Amino acid sequence: MTTRRGLIITDQQLERCDQLLWELKGLLNCTFLGLISTAGQPITSASSDHHPETFSLASLTASAFAATRQLATILDEREFTLLFNEGDAVNLHVAQVNDQVLLLITFGRDVPIGQVRLYTQRSIAVLQRILADHSGDDQQLVVDDAYEMSMEREMDQVFRENGSE
Amino acid sequence: MPLVNFAAREINYKIVYYGCGLCGKTTNIQYIHRKINPNVRGKLVSIATEEERTLYFDFLPLTLGTVRGMKTRFHLYTVPGQSYYNASRRLVLQGCDGVVFVADSQITRLDENVESYLNLWDNLIAQGDDLSRLGFVVQMNKRDLVDVFSLGDLGDLLNHTGSPILPAAAINGIGVFETLKAVCKQVIAKTS
Repeated sequence: MTTRRGLIITDQQLERCDQLLWELKGLLNCTFLGLISTAGQPITSASSDHHPETFSLASLTASAFAATRQLATILDEREFTLLFNEGDAVNLHVAQVNDQVLLLITFGRDVPIGQVRLYTQRSIAVLQRILADHSGDDQQLVVDDAYEMSMEREMDQVFRENGSE
Repeated sequence: MPLVNFAAREINYKIVYYGCGLCGKTTNIQYIHRKINPNVRGKLVSIATEEERTLYFDFLPLTLGTVRGMKTRFHLYTVPGQSYYNASRRLVLQGCDGVVFVADSQITRLDENVESYLNLWDNLIAQGDDLSRLGFVVQMNKRDLVDVFSLGDLGDLLNHTGSPILPAAAINGIGVFETLKAVCKQVIAKTS
């Protein structure tokens, strides 16, 4: 059976990413910072407020960024490496960390965009090193035959509870 | 390409519902959203035209279980079925772990089904993937209508990987959860 290995984030990597995101949050005085996969899945975030729509935010951001890159191709540009949306109260800034990860920042009008770009660029260089470092990658992927069977039972339970079976 | 987050104790899979225009992809997702326990689902996001045709995608996150302390999430997406939205379809397919091909069983929709199936292969190959490496199931939708192809005939045309085929009438919820469960199983099997 073919095994597909995706993006794996270890404890150590996430701890270092979280530390950097909180530092960046303090420097920029912004409302929300998040790492998301280019496939649209949230990885981690630094936020003072509860964000119940993290999934939607990640999915829509990844899609918008993917569309932006495609636009670059159509316009014969090598790539657009960031996406910026300006609102009345909130701005959204998205930048590419590596092939699989994006950095999303929301911030108020009082934060200069130049400052966001400068600190983001510096942070991305550090994040790239963290995500490329697999020295702590000794955790085994838990998806094996036993996991598959247990997960099937869990799914049966969810569907039964909802009268969907 | 699942996202495994050991620190957050999560595994995330992306599943895409694919098929020609008006075959019932959004109907599947809407039915799941309506019927499943609100505690296991997130918000349904739809980017649609004013006529409620999918413009970019629909999106629904589901948390379907916790095994060995690892929460397993499935992120369900649909693609726009109309042929001129191919650029959008390619973007939604990026990083997917599984595909549900929703076929419209009506005899009059044969050409659209075949075109969409070939388009799926083309788009996956363009991103360096193929259906044999992904979780894949075929849902034969609209079985409640008259003048439909037999499952065998449609399967010969739309299933070259020997994947599970599930009859459905998504508008009435028939086969919707069976399809979801089948593709989730396939997706997990491909990564185990």
